[in-house]
Amino acid sequence: MISTLIYGLTIGGILYIISIGLSLTFGSMRIVNFAHGMIYTTGAYILIAALPFLRHNFFAGIVVAILVVIPISFIIEKFIVRRLYGESIDYAIIATYAVLLIGVDLVKWIWGTSPIPLSDPVGKSVTFLSVQVPVYRLIIIAVSLAICAGLWVFFKKTIIGKIVIAGLQDREAVRSLGISVDRYFSIVFVLGSCLAALGGVLYSPITTVHPYMGFHILLISFAVVIVGGLGSLKGTTISAFALGMVMAITGRFWGPAAEAMVFAVMAIMLIFKPIEV
Amino acid sequence: MGKDVKARFRDSGGLGVILIALGFIIFGTATSIHRTTDFIIFSIFVLGFDLLYGHMGRLSFGHMLFFGSGAYAAGLLVRYATPNPFLAILAGICGGALVGGILGPVAVRATGACFALINLAFNQVGYFLALVAFAKSTGGEDGLSLTFSSTPLLDITRPKVFFGFALFCLCLIYYLLKRLTSSPYGILLRTIRENETRAQFIGYNTYRYKWFTFVISSSISAFAGALATLNYGYVNPSFVDPTRNVEVIFAALIGGAGSLYGAVIGGFSYMVISNYLARYIPRWEMFLGFALLILVFKFREGIWGNVISVWKRRTQTGE
Repeated sequence: MISTLIYGLTIGGILYIISIGLSLTFGSMRIVNFAHGMIYTTGAYILIAALPFLRHNFFAGIVVAILVVIPISFIIEKFIVRRLYGESIDYAIIATYAVLLIGVDLVKWIWGTSPIPLSDPVGKSVTFLSVQVPVYRLIIIAVSLAICAGLWVFFKKTIIGKIVIAGLQDREAVRSLGISVDRYFSIVFVLGSCLAALGGVLYSPITTVHPYMGFHILLISFAVVIVGGLGSLKGTTISAFALGMVMAITGRFWGPAAEAMVFAVMAIMLIFKPIEV
Repeated sequence: MGKDVKARFRDSGGLGVILIALGFIIFGTATSIHRTTDFIIFSIFVLGFDLLYGHMGRLSFGHMLFFGSGAYAAGLLVRYATPNPFLAILAGICGGALVGGILGPVAVRATGACFALINLAFNQVGYFLALVAFAKSTGGEDGLSLTFSSTPLLDITRPKVFFGFALFCLCLIYYLLKRLTSSPYGILLRTIRENETRAQFIGYNTYRYKWFTFVISSSISAFAGALATLNYGYVNPSFVDPTRNVEVIFAALIGGAGSLYGAVIGGFSYMVISNYLARYIPRWEMFLGFALLILVFKFREGIWGNVISVWKRRTQTGE
């Protein structure tokens, strides 16, 4: 019971970290960013490549992964995504999917297709109400809550965050104030990509690292964004943790069905609250 | 009088049928019959997909689900009930229509990105159902290998006969879609693509039309899936694999979305690339990715769209 709860919160936290970047680009530009999945995969692989050089210091690996991802996401934003602002959404989907394909194939080229297991970097566990709970999971939950608080401060207290929130609600109005919204959105794009890489890095010790890991988690993250409501950051937060719990509870009874259950929940949500965009 | 008959023939789709049939027969005799049958089946799939994408403007990222449901419906019928291939095709079409009919109301209310993603999510669920949940009856990862009975009138277990049958199916689908898209209903579809609010304003219940189109598109895709099952003699989870959706999107784009010729040309071109060029391309997915980027940024009209615009310029300067 406790372990299911912890597991649900862990997955929910990871889903939150990944989905928030998607939610921002999806809500602001209506661009479905498949490249997000590629960034996620890249983060995990960079970690694996960097670990031997950092004397297997996991937390230095996280920093390296995020630093490497920043220029990659900047290039994707500048050359692919920015050229698609205001274009037909279908082209944006196809183009970012193409980036995902290229990224996945590059990863396969460099690191091969076989999954790479990664051990728990902390390795300790605490006994909590007579249940063994790995410390690493607690760290993930703490990190996701910290990011949640950090983003709250970012969007409420800083001017960049305020501009982005205003841009999400009414892009034209912000532009008419003489603010170049696109530039702020590209900052947010890079920020979201860093979070995706962080999510990939944090999640990789729990699962295995393989080239298609981004594709699966991306689909679940899209379900999170759709269930939470487009461009609603609060909705994304709630739905990430709720769907994380759904995955954990389903996984307790029948492991392989966990992913499918998320989509079933999404379909039920869509029946009762259809998206009319 | 003569010109009138010719124009009517062209508008009714007769000319297209003859051109497509001739093209595939020439290609089939020049290369391998079995492989060309594969090309024809894929073209049917692209036609089904393009009805939704090119004509109604809804990009589905999960059309492999319908392809796969047709394939599995046909496969399961043959394995557990009757080995008759025609009944298998019928079961495939019904299976696809059923899945499309159930999922349609959820999917068609969304547009753009959400529509694409909802379909992709359904596809993922379908993949899971075929691979894990019903593994006992679908054979899981190994799939089902099937043997079909030979029927007296038309023995489609023979490759040449099956080639002819598949070509007939393609021409039939082409003809039906030609009639459908040039009818008032087809014009309404394009209206929905361009401006759905206006179509609603005129007084059409667009929801019903979108659902109907969704079901037709899924049935045609399922038809292609059932044919593919017949052609290969097996069905396995790669028939529903969500990562293969990009193939049909690529085909629709390279041919030129929104025209029936474009869909057939696209299906054919994609199969030529993947069957003949893939041998020389070591990184296939990367190639697909870069090709898609080029298509999106530089070559949106596709092959057929470019042919049309060049031809139009020719005739305009000629006059």
